[in-house]
Amino acid sequence: MHLDDVLTELVEHSGDRLLRVAYQLTHDPATAQDLVQEALLRVYGSVRRRGLVPEDWYAYLRRAVINEYVRTRRLRSSTEVVTDVVPERPTAGCPEDRTADQAELWAALGALSERQRAVLVLRYYEGLADHEIASLLGCREASVRSLAKRGLAAMRPLVTAVSAGEDRT
Amino acid sequence: MSNLEDDISRVMAGHDDQAPNAAALLRSLEQASQPKRRPGWFVPLVVAVVVAAVVAGSAWAGGVLSGHRQEPATVLGGARQIPPLSCPARYADQAPWVPAKPAGADGRSRLVPQTTPSSALVCAYRGNNTDKRQAGWALSGRRSLVGGLARLAGQLSWQPRRLPGHQIACTAVGGPQTNYLIGLGYPGATIWVAATDEPNECVSASNGEFTSYGIIGPDVSRAFASGRWPDRPSASCPGPRQDIGRLGQDTTMVPAGSTSVTICAPKARTLTSGYQALVSALNRLPAHPSTLSCSGTPSPSASYQLVFSYPEGPPVLVTVLSGCHPPIDNLGLQSDSASSILPVIQQLLKPK
Repeated sequence: MHLDDVLTELVEHSGDRLLRVAYQLTHDPATAQDLVQEALLRVYGSVRRRGLVPEDWYAYLRRAVINEYVRTRRLRSSTEVVTDVVPERPTAGCPEDRTADQAELWAALGALSERQRAVLVLRYYEGLADHEIASLLGCREASVRSLAKRGLAAMRPLVTAVSAGEDRT
Repeated sequence: MSNLEDDISRVMAGHDDQAPNAAALLRSLEQASQPKRRPGWFVPLVVAVVVAAVVAGSAWAGGVLSGHRQEPATVLGGARQIPPLSCPARYADQAPWVPAKPAGADGRSRLVPQTTPSSALVCAYRGNNTDKRQAGWALSGRRSLVGGLARLAGQLSWQPRRLPGHQIACTAVGGPQTNYLIGLGYPGATIWVAATDEPNECVSASNGEFTSYGIIGPDVSRAFASGRWPDRPSASCPGPRQDIGRLGQDTTMVPAGSTSVTICAPKARTLTSGYQALVSALNRLPAHPSTLSCSGTPSPSASYQLVFSYPEGPPVLVTVLSGCHPPIDNLGLQSDSASSILPVIQQLLKPK
């Protein structure tokens, strides 16, 4: 099979998965699509220039998506204020709150730093082990554990409040 | 895995359906590379984009990368077109749960707008109300409704509001439970409605912003089976699996616009006219929020159920239980005296 056909097929068969990971990272559909598109073009250009074909295209592209995400977020970080403080806690057990709770959890994930969020997405969405995440992010395993710990610590007050306020009627 | 980690996994999985898909990515790439695709000169799509990007340099590539943003916004009647809804793979939380709050439409004043939706997708998640895990149920089926969408709008838009703190006593019968998500599409707007069909008829419906105690689960089951929203049953005395309760009954005992009343006495009687005195008398009563309970022993000979029907949407049920305090209740309001109501009812029941 021709290399170009392989890549076209990859978009059709692994594109959805990559886009979902990108969406978990960015929380924005258009940005997620940009991210995957950018990563796809960078990887493909690089592969063509070097003539190398990765054994695992998905893992290769996922790495590119993660790197692109961290890189672009870092570029924008001078204008963004990243906080790990959850803004508000739910107070009531009304069924409407359950949706609100979910929305707040999602928002809290979005408020983490790009590396904390990347670690949590790779760990809890992609199901990767810490040593795999370390390899992917190019850092030590201890750094992954530290990022995860700080990310979870930022989320914990919110989830405690959610559990306490659940409506079980 | 801790509860926190479990919650994070669930929240992430619950947003899967909001991610763009590969088809959109391919379309975007295709649009960005269209001038370079010619019949008889077949170059796979992605290659065309990449080659062009390499040749033209990074400035051109920047344009390609943001290609889908450069498309003119798709506007219909001034509203931006929103992509069709798709069923989440899992029902992420305990019912009622929706994957997203209303987008492009008011979800706070009604469960759904009064407008007929342009599409309706029903997603089913089957389980049992005795299951240890009441969250994370997998998608068991999906169906697009092909008929009855106006009836759907009529019924759902008039569902009664469940106010915060409004407690409903529930039975605890174990049995199969199906959590449904109804994804409604409108020009420029989408709304998800959570509804549940379960033995106790006690799980609220919600769009994430408006919660209702109306019983729509059985009708969603019928719609899921047939592909059409079911016809409204004719006015009748209340029975199980029947949708009763209407928007506005938490502020007015009998909201305006009713077209008939069925008085459920030993022998039911339906009146399509001449009952306005009853409506007026009920709406004149001093009323307070319902506790959905009364104390005392109702007198069977002076107890009635009054079912007020409307051209669309669910009916209003007013129960009159003499001997129980408070004697009058419509699920939203209660009133402490039936003395002015009983003579009016008895007058209406007299043979003509």
